[in-house]
Amino acid sequence: MLQLKNVNLNYGSFRALHDINIHADEGELVVLLGANGAGKSSIFLTISGLNKSVSGSIKFRGQELLGMKPSQIVEAGIVHCPEGRKLFPGMSVLKNLILGAYVHRKDKAGVQRSLEEVLDMFPILREKKDQPAGSLSGGQQQMVAIGRALMGRPKLLMLDEPSLGLAPLVVKQMFEVIQRINQSGTTVLLAEQNAYAALKIANRAYVIESGRIVMEGDRDTLLGDERIRKAYIGG
Amino acid sequence: MELFFQLVLNGLTLGSVYGLVALGLTLVYGILHVPNFSHGALYMVGAYVAFILMSNYGVNYWVAIAGAAVVVGVLAMLSERLVFHPLRDAPPIHDKIAAIGILLFLEAGVMAIWGADFRRMPTPYSGIVDIFGLTAPAQRLLIIAGAFVLVVALHLFLKKTILGSTIIAMAQNREGAALVGINATKVSLLTFFISGALAAVAAGLFAPINLVYPAMGHLVIMKAFVIIVLGGMGSIPGAIIGGLIIGFAESFAGFYISTHYKDLVAFLLLVVILSVRPEGLFTKGVR
Ligand SMILES: Nc1ncnc2c1ncn2[C@@H]1O[C@H](COP(=O)(O)OP(=O)(O)OP(=O)(O)O)[C@@H](O)[C@H]1O
Ligand SMILES: [Mg+2]
Repeated sequence: MLQLKNVNLNYGSFRALHDINIHADEGELVVLLGANGAGKSSIFLTISGLNKSVSGSIKFRGQELLGMKPSQIVEAGIVHCPEGRKLFPGMSVLKNLILGAYVHRKDKAGVQRSLEEVLDMFPILREKKDQPAGSLSGGQQQMVAIGRALMGRPKLLMLDEPSLGLAPLVVKQMFEVIQRINQSGTTVLLAEQNAYAALKIANRAYVIESGRIVMEGDRDTLLGDERIRKAYIGG
Repeated sequence: MELFFQLVLNGLTLGSVYGLVALGLTLVYGILHVPNFSHGALYMVGAYVAFILMSNYGVNYWVAIAGAAVVVGVLAMLSERLVFHPLRDAPPIHDKIAAIGILLFLEAGVMAIWGADFRRMPTPYSGIVDIFGLTAPAQRLLIIAGAFVLVVALHLFLKKTILGSTIIAMAQNREGAALVGINATKVSLLTFFISGALAAVAAGLFAPINLVYPAMGHLVIMKAFVIIVLGGMGSIPGAIIGGLIIGFAESFAGFYISTHYKDLVAFLLLVVILSVRPEGLFTKGVR
């Protein structure tokens, strides 16, 4: 469904991604593991069309994404829930969610339906729907961010460190939610440092270091791998 | 009482005009983080277009203002498309220099086409209106009402429509806006159009009680900058309330201190307020 071939990315003279080759098949949950600064977010931002100076090829359902505008990529069905959430802090939770469905704005009934689904998935947001998104707790804001992404009705959802900064209990719920989203048919690309929890719900994973893919495999292979345990799981 | 009423009316009039100009400035700043120094020139072109439409083509006052709004709106879009957009990845100082370039270009253009003379714009509303036994020039009431209607309309547009929300979304989080599929280029063009149209309407409303000449935008734009600095860069309520504060201060200081110094008041207030609240009267961000 999504295929990156020999993708290189430069920030000025600094090369952040070297010959990245990854793919995700329909219905899969694929995890990107990597330490701080490895290049996980860079891969996502590149797929979303927010990075310039990219070479290689990014194909989504046969369509070349390189050179497309971010708005066209969302319309193609790839929605990115970014690191740091990037909400509209002064707008109400409801407005944030509605804007998540911006590309479907003409389909009023469909937007309403997605909205009900998201509010059912995160009941707390129904209570807080009229509050400014910026006034919510970190975990609640992360729910708004995921909800906003779901409002775009993604075929492929990219989640960048959704568990960052959340309490352990909330992290657990977050991973359950992600698994549910995936089981309902959305292909998920998940960037995480929380390797154990991420791998447990994954089909496959890639390990990225200094902008290079250094290892790939299915869940059980990576969960059993000695180096992965040492580097990312601890113990 | 009569005198006080006149001063209030005068303050409201000035505040309305400054507020409209400052609103456009703050909207563009919120989106692009460009202090658009050419905004005062757009205001000036707005007055000229309305004036020429009326005096050369015999167009009705309101149609002339609407025409000026469209012409200047499109001009502002062109400045975004041809100047600011190509500079989007350049260091911020380039935008500022380019904005001054547009200002000089527009002023020289107007001077070349229409000359440097001072002109007086006619208005069908030159009469005096009686309200509750107090007299008020009709044009001033018109300015206040016009500005009020525009501000309410803009508010409803920004808050209640999806299209309007895209402007606020982009101001609050540019990357977030791109990731939900909002096209930054289109939002910028829309914002520039609104900003130019607001300036043109302000100019068309204010011109009949002022004069039309190529440098007419200078003081207005400087005051508009004072207003958005006071109100908080990018803040919409800040622009409106800041406009009223400057308008009232000018009106009252002009009477109680000296008309010669009335233009100084805005800048004095800026110094005083910023030394107490360096972040401006309102917190940052378009809301
Ligand atoms: N806008 C940018 N300009 C220059 N360098 C950047 C930029 N964004 C990221 N980098 C650099 O690119 C490398 C990869 O960064 P990236 O944000 O993709 O890492 P990450 O794997 O997401 O890390 P984290 O887990 O901390 O979020 C880092 O060395 C970073 O410093
Ligand atoms: Mg990251």
